[in-house]
Amino acid sequence: MPYLVSFHLGWLVGSLLLGLAMGWISVVQRGNGTSKVTARWLAVLVAGLVAASLTHVVPGRFGYWLDLGLIMFACYLVGCTIGAWLRDRVVSRSARAA
Amino acid sequence: MQKLFRWASKWWPGLIPLAVMWGFAAWNNTLPVEADLSARSSAALKDTVLDKTRIAVDGRDVSLAADAFSEEGRRDAVMAVENVPGVRLVEDATRLVPEARPFVWNAERDVVRVTLSGSAPLPAMKARLVEAARKELGGVEVADQMGLARGAPPRFEAAAMLLLDQIGKLKDGKITISDTKVSLSGMARELGGREAIAAALKNLPEGFSVATNEIKAPPYIFQAYKDPVAATVTLTGYVPDNNVHAAIATGASRKFFGEKVVDNLKASVGAPASFNTAVVAALGALSRLSTGTLVVSDREVKLSGDALYEGAANEIRAGPGKDFPKTWQYKPEITVKPAAGPVDGTVCQQLFSELLSKGKIRFEPKRANIDPDSAGILDHLIETALRCPTTNIEVAGHTDSDGEDSFNQALSEKRAQAVIDYLVKAGLPANRFTAVGYGATQPVAGNDTDDGKAQNRRIEFLVR
Repeated sequence: MPYLVSFHLGWLVGSLLLGLAMGWISVVQRGNGTSKVTARWLAVLVAGLVAASLTHVVPGRFGYWLDLGLIMFACYLVGCTIGAWLRDRVVSRSARAA
Repeated sequence: MQKLFRWASKWWPGLIPLAVMWGFAAWNNTLPVEADLSARSSAALKDTVLDKTRIAVDGRDVSLAADAFSEEGRRDAVMAVENVPGVRLVEDATRLVPEARPFVWNAERDVVRVTLSGSAPLPAMKARLVEAARKELGGVEVADQMGLARGAPPRFEAAAMLLLDQIGKLKDGKITISDTKVSLSGMARELGGREAIAAALKNLPEGFSVATNEIKAPPYIFQAYKDPVAATVTLTGYVPDNNVHAAIATGASRKFFGEKVVDNLKASVGAPASFNTAVVAALGALSRLSTGTLVVSDREVKLSGDALYEGAANEIRAGPGKDFPKTWQYKPEITVKPAAGPVDGTVCQQLFSELLSKGKIRFEPKRANIDPDSAGILDHLIETALRCPTTNIEVAGHTDSDGEDSFNQALSEKRAQAVIDYLVKAGLPANRFTAVGYGATQPVAGNDTDDGKAQNRRIEFLVR
């Protein structure tokens, strides 16, 4: 894991920034998100992929790509969370001021 | 928390650029990651002892194929690669080097090179053996055809090194270690080499033993060349020791009355039995030739050259005398020197006097038996007598003054007669010769010194 992080640091920072941006937008975005059912299916899919990665069942380059994808996805999620939380604070502060 | 889920439901559009980024990242980094892990794995294996190591990286999975020299070494190698940071899985394709049974190692020498073959236990030891062979044989090509195998006996390296030291002493041959048995065959480079190798083999490490030692010694060569133009006899080759050397040198100077003996002999071990007797007898035969070469090789004597007359040639062909050892081979190639032109009595007398001033006919002390060492000078006297067939010759015997006059008188007569008998036996007509004895009545030097007495004991040829 530390090797993967250090080797792909640029791409992970990119994912994090993408996540930050997406999180920032998501707080004020109108419209419908994914449905609960879809979200659950997505969660199951991700859990499956994580399990596959941890058990090393995917061989060779595909295994490496899976690990890389998951770690980028994790950075993206962290970015989204931070972005959304920051935006939420900004929004609620301005609402209080108004 | 609910807020978080609400926000999260709207994060999915970002997955599209993320997937694109993921694709680029994979595209860009796969080969660098593989190269980096391959380099790190090789570095991790640097201190392990392996042969034929191959590392293949697929993503972050390393496939390691190698020949290890022990189970432990194999495990350590796999573990070293597993511990490289970034490696996900290690596919273990290592195997143990096959075990050789019996464990055979060879060093073979021929004219141009030394070939090391068979098995060596470790790559480093293999390199050391090649290096040792190069050092021992400076300049000779060393071909390394050794493979690697397990199962070497303990102290193998010490034994192999000791044997490599011996290969320099061989002209050609083969040294083999089979488990703990050592076999040697071939030809030693120099006389004494075989003995030196046998001595060195006593220092083989514990556990090793000599199964067969068939190292042969090079032929023991002794040569003599009689050159009538330079008036020299050149002795070359080997003699067993200084005593034999002295005996041969003394014998040669007695037999070759007119030639200077050039002594280039070297002492060396390895002479065949009865060497001294055989060589002295063969030198006697050589002294009877006008020009000739004697080659003694081990127990074979080759004599070639020109005898002075037909009778001498036949005698020399028949053998070098009764002292010649029966177990030795004698190969004469004798031709007869073309007869010199006839001369008159005065010239004949001059030639006789010249010959007898250079050398003398020797007898056993106080007796009338001719010493075999005088065969050379007698042949020359006969050859001269054949050149003036019409002359009559008086053979005169003289003694020193020791002993009674009557004894000396009788002795001088007997000795003169013995010489005539020898000449007649060689084919000269008996009626040409008269034997006369003068006893001690005609000294040519004082009888008060040994040297003077020796000069007075003589045979003279007088043309009448």
